[in-house]
Amino acid sequence: MWIPIQINESSAEPLYHQIETQLRSMIVSGQIGEGTLLPSIREFAGSLNCSAITVRRVYQDLENEGLLRTKQGTGTFVAKVEESQRGAFKQTLVMEALEAAADAAISLQYSKEELLDLFMQVLGRKYEDKGKGGDQK
Amino acid sequence: MTGELAVQLRGVTKEGRRKPIGPIDLDIPAGYVVALVGPNGAGKSTLMHLMLKTLQQDEGQVEWFGKQYERGLPVEVQRKIAYVPEVPIYEENYLTAEKAGEFRSKWYPAWDAGRFEELLNRFGVPRGIRLAKMSKGERRKFEISAALACRPKLLLLDEPSSGLDPFAWKEMIESLRTLLEEEGITIILSTHIVEEVKRLADYIVLVYQGQVHGMVEKDMLLGCFQEWWIRGGAEEAARLKGLSSESGPGMMRIMVGCPEETESIAAREGIEVLRKRSLELEEALDLWMKGHLPEQLKWKRGI
Repeated sequence: MWIPIQINESSAEPLYHQIETQLRSMIVSGQIGEGTLLPSIREFAGSLNCSAITVRRVYQDLENEGLLRTKQGTGTFVAKVEESQRGAFKQTLVMEALEAAADAAISLQYSKEELLDLFMQVLGRKYEDKGKGGDQK
Repeated sequence: MTGELAVQLRGVTKEGRRKPIGPIDLDIPAGYVVALVGPNGAGKSTLMHLMLKTLQQDEGQVEWFGKQYERGLPVEVQRKIAYVPEVPIYEENYLTAEKAGEFRSKWYPAWDAGRFEELLNRFGVPRGIRLAKMSKGERRKFEISAALACRPKLLLLDEPSSGLDPFAWKEMIESLRTLLEEEGITIILSTHIVEEVKRLADYIVLVYQGQVHGMVEKDMLLGCFQEWWIRGGAEEAARLKGLSSESGPGMMRIMVGCPEETESIAAREGIEVLRKRSLELEEALDLWMKGHLPEQLKWKRGI
């Protein structure tokens, strides 16, 4: 059993945070369905080349958030995700992407107006494409 | 992974032939992999002998699975422990791999003949020839197979990969991982191979000049040092209190030892950070050896 998590070793983001963020997004978005049995801590740690301590921490955090549950002796499973949780999570993801875009613009000394102008151009293009059926996502 | 300790050392010292060791305080948590790293002659092998009780400490206490033993380890404890020494013992030199396995099986009631056979095959250990006639790598493969066949609770490996070809090395890593998954054993290994630490270790212990310079979670060590590129010159770099810095075209490259703290300084002082990257394990180990490890990262009992 493997989970498609990609670690960026040179990223400044701590390892456990990278794993946790990706796993959470896969659970909340429904890519990994309710009731899925996750790999054992050791197995997961081995496939990610990280320590068992890190995986255990991730499992514990997500269990506290109600996304995972552990059955003694059988393993760790994906729990049911509430609709409200899904909505809030989607918003967080989009918010983060927008913030990253804003950070990029600020570091290149764009003004708020210039960024907004660019943003509206992008929106116009993307949503027009979507309207034509060019982007099914 | 129950919070129990496999081995515990308290104030252990040993007057060596070359130099004194200790006093050493060290906790080896059960169910984890602890890598001992440090330069040649730092005392890693001696430390292993103290944990095997093949060397008696001058002062201090050692506990195995929560118990102290004054005069040598009782047989039932010895049977839980397997050890692959740096240099193989000569008593088995005139035996073939099969015979040596038979001999060891008498000592270890949990001996797993099936696993031994399987490992010898996987590693391609030659049969029917004496161990002394084998190449260094072949002998190593036998030693590792025999140690794993004992079904130990505690496994000590002194530079296990020395002499192994890359294929055998991969097999070794895989076999150890399987053992960790299925049996929850504790492994202590000394190594100079960073890739080995990266693939296996949960904790890293730095041994240097006969002293233990702390134990850290591997992933914490990886996360604790970063290289930053910032806009500005020496003045900006100094304000961030990095470990070292180097100037570039209108920017500075600095080594950061505590990213969270530095981030708050950068935000407060309005210093623009252009890029960041985490250091490789090798670089992080090097900085640790130079004494740059933040104190709060060191593993304390009960956490």
